[in-house]
Amino acid sequence: MNNEKVELIRKAIQSKNVEEYEIYLISQQIYETQFLKNQIESEREINDLEYIIRILSQRNIETGIGIVKGNSIDPKEIEKYINTCLLLAKNNSTSKYNFPEKKSISQISTVDQKLIKDPLRAKKEICEELITEINEYKDVTPTFGRFRIHIQKRFLNNSNGIDLDNLRTFFYLEFSLKTQEKGKLSEYWESEYIKEREHLNFNKRVEKWARISKDNLKAKPPKSKKQALVIFSPSLLKDAINPVVGFQALGKAFHEKVSKFNLNEKVASDNFTIIDNGLLEGGLLTNAWDGEGNAQQKNEIIENGIFKKRLFDQKYAILGDTISTGNGIRTENGSITNGNTNLQILPGDISLEEMISNVKEGYYIEKCSWLEPDEFSGSFGAEIRNGYFIKNGRFSNPIKGGNVSGNVLEMIKNCQFISKETEFSSNSLFPYIAFPNLTISF
Amino acid sequence: MIFGLIMSNKSNEEIFVIFEEISNSFKRENQYFDILFDSVSSVRIKKSLTEESISINAKKSGIVARTFIGSWKEFATQDVSELKNIEKKLPKVINKGEEINEFEAWKINKEIKPKINPSDIPIEEKIQKIRDFFNYLRKYDERIINPIIFYSESLMTRIFFNNEGCQLRQVLPRIRFFIQPVVKEGSTIDFDYFSTGGEKGFEIIEEILDNKLEQIAKNSLEMLKADTPPSGKFPIILDPDMAGLIAHESFGHGLEADQILRDRSYLKDKLNKKVASEICVICDSPNLKNELGSYFFDDEGIPAGKNILVEGGILKRFLHNRHTASLLNGIPKGNGRRESFAHPVYVRMTNTYFEPGDYDLDEMISEIKYGVMPTRGYFGMEDPLGGGMQCTSKKGYLIENGERTKLLKSITLSGPVLELLQNIDAISNDNLNLHGGTCGKGVEDFIPVTTGGSFIRVKNALISPG
Repeated sequence: MNNEKVELIRKAIQSKNVEEYEIYLISQQIYETQFLKNQIESEREINDLEYIIRILSQRNIETGIGIVKGNSIDPKEIEKYINTCLLLAKNNSTSKYNFPEKKSISQISTVDQKLIKDPLRAKKEICEELITEINEYKDVTPTFGRFRIHIQKRFLNNSNGIDLDNLRTFFYLEFSLKTQEKGKLSEYWESEYIKEREHLNFNKRVEKWARISKDNLKAKPPKSKKQALVIFSPSLLKDAINPVVGFQALGKAFHEKVSKFNLNEKVASDNFTIIDNGLLEGGLLTNAWDGEGNAQQKNEIIENGIFKKRLFDQKYAILGDTISTGNGIRTENGSITNGNTNLQILPGDISLEEMISNVKEGYYIEKCSWLEPDEFSGSFGAEIRNGYFIKNGRFSNPIKGGNVSGNVLEMIKNCQFISKETEFSSNSLFPYIAFPNLTISF
Repeated sequence: MIFGLIMSNKSNEEIFVIFEEISNSFKRENQYFDILFDSVSSVRIKKSLTEESISINAKKSGIVARTFIGSWKEFATQDVSELKNIEKKLPKVINKGEEINEFEAWKINKEIKPKINPSDIPIEEKIQKIRDFFNYLRKYDERIINPIIFYSESLMTRIFFNNEGCQLRQVLPRIRFFIQPVVKEGSTIDFDYFSTGGEKGFEIIEEILDNKLEQIAKNSLEMLKADTPPSGKFPIILDPDMAGLIAHESFGHGLEADQILRDRSYLKDKLNKKVASEICVICDSPNLKNELGSYFFDDEGIPAGKNILVEGGILKRFLHNRHTASLLNGIPKGNGRRESFAHPVYVRMTNTYFEPGDYDLDEMISEIKYGVMPTRGYFGMEDPLGGGMQCTSKKGYLIENGERTKLLKSITLSGPVLELLQNIDAISNDNLNLHGGTCGKGVEDFIPVTTGGSFIRVKNALISPG
């Protein structure tokens, strides 16, 4: 792909003899259907474009970085943006930074051609498939839903010769299924970004929504217990692991003196291996290059319980005198932050069914209202939305309400069981894991 | 019709002419139609131990047009050359005009002028101010390992036309400021935070003096000695932040009338029934002055009004947009909001709060033998169907024998929200205190809001470490 808008901006920057610059342009089409119950409530089509200019001003031991975001392609406006960016670069003062050099980066397909060819038709077909599947379940009713197709084109061009582009498609799916009986109400409400069409898997997905919604109608508050054994679903595990383990592994956390992980030290149980995998097949954030143009990689963070590798973007790599691991994430305001790509926990050797059968008394939690652990300490406390009490190796009754509390950094030191099965949830591919030593309160 | 490449370069008059022409091409008797121009420029500065970032959003703009033909059809674009496609993208029909109620047309063209316009302050001065805050905190105590400072100013212009004759323009300045000194002693890392904001100018930054910074530093350092809170059911006193979180997250989301249409609210059958203790008055109002959730009109052209949601413990009304008001015979007060032109309009809250009561805070504390006081509301999540509650505070205090004693770490409050509201037995007479934040509809569509109230005592509530 080439982009005439990038070229227009590049020429405008070069005409001002700017030595170090970067242009990141993203254009996207979004096609959305919203549902009220099982009827279409709204259909939306959005065309959006924005670009970010970054300009560097080098000084002895520091660099000034100017960042301007805009969407005008009027030459006069572009000139104003460049002047503003130069002013910001002159006034900013950050640690030494330079843009990545041009390297050979292999291509990865991140696009579903059927969606590109006729997105409106694809959306209609997928929505019909979803509603047909939902209508199969007579004892649950949909309350609302949203389905979106995103088509994103991204371009990255810098003064070191980087000239990259990428076409990417993905979905957003949100739905709530409700069950009602004798004045009692319950629901299962899911919202998820999904990369691949095959991962939509409505047959399995809707069956799960309906089952949990119906079970939840009979849910009881959980019995209070300290030292409780709790199995986390892959999506709940994502909410626990990503903000804590993902954060603690970053070069940023190390340089800000808040990481509790020391290289080659044991930080988790032997059966725990987690990878930041920017090349993961089907991963939401899979791409050949990161937000700065460095190659995304497969980086083992914790291998068999040992902390093996920190994750760096360009800035923290320079600070640590090392090289980027492809973990420069473009933020909404155009700056780069050191972050995670896709996180993957390697599966164990026991099935979920076997795992449950090994539990004399414990809890399975599918979903909490908002786990949101503290990234520094790993502590959390959250209300249980959907779960089950496990008694003598099987689900005894559904649970809802009450709180689960614990500490993610302590939990990973004691992963009692890790399942064979893994599931995608946004940018994670995780198994089910059973942790002892959590607190359930009601 | 003249089409340029960007909308933000056009004068208001040019935009008005274009919008009027497009709106009039859709006959109101056949279908409802509206069009919104959205432009935002912003400055953000972030400073931390390893980062200084300054970014400017140079007036990003776009338009969104929609019509109701039994369901909504909507087209949004940042490229004004696509304006001509609106009539292709949005179908014209006949006889669908009555499906959306008609509201009185009106005109307004208003700009809020802050005391100190941020655009009058040179960027160098803003950066220096942030660096001064950073340096003060860094030097204050070596245990402050990373003072994180975040400054954001924005100027939002919205122009709204519809085929009922509304011709509206508003310009709203918003500013937000946040300080989080991260502290470390041994292996313990923690923080407290300070935030402020509103439809105000740079004066709110000028008002932060050394004594304020010292207090922020001390608050964070104190967290190093904080105890883990107990788990279980206790009498609690919520500070205004936490009270507001409950009014908004746990209670308010169930009052958004799109949830009523969806049959997805635990409050659907509670209109005119008792839902809270009789001392409770809960409101949502976008027409408070200079708050983050305030404006003159919403993104459907409805003038900002005041919703008295609960009065004397009785549920009085739901929150409406044009669609829900049409279907449920409600009166919209300006609760139809979009994050931007690229996001959908939903029924949303604005400034949501408990009205102050007539108790003295010291008296409220003195009557508790053993309880907890969660303070500094941190985050919460809605459960519109189930009426469940999760609100987490950044810290809190133990109350023992009528006195506030030990400082506690983060506390999570949960349980059925109606049970909590019914259990309120005292509301303090302190002034209304609102706190700014952002609110998502589920996990998306973030808009500025405030929440608050005064201090609220609950006879019995479930808490655990957060």
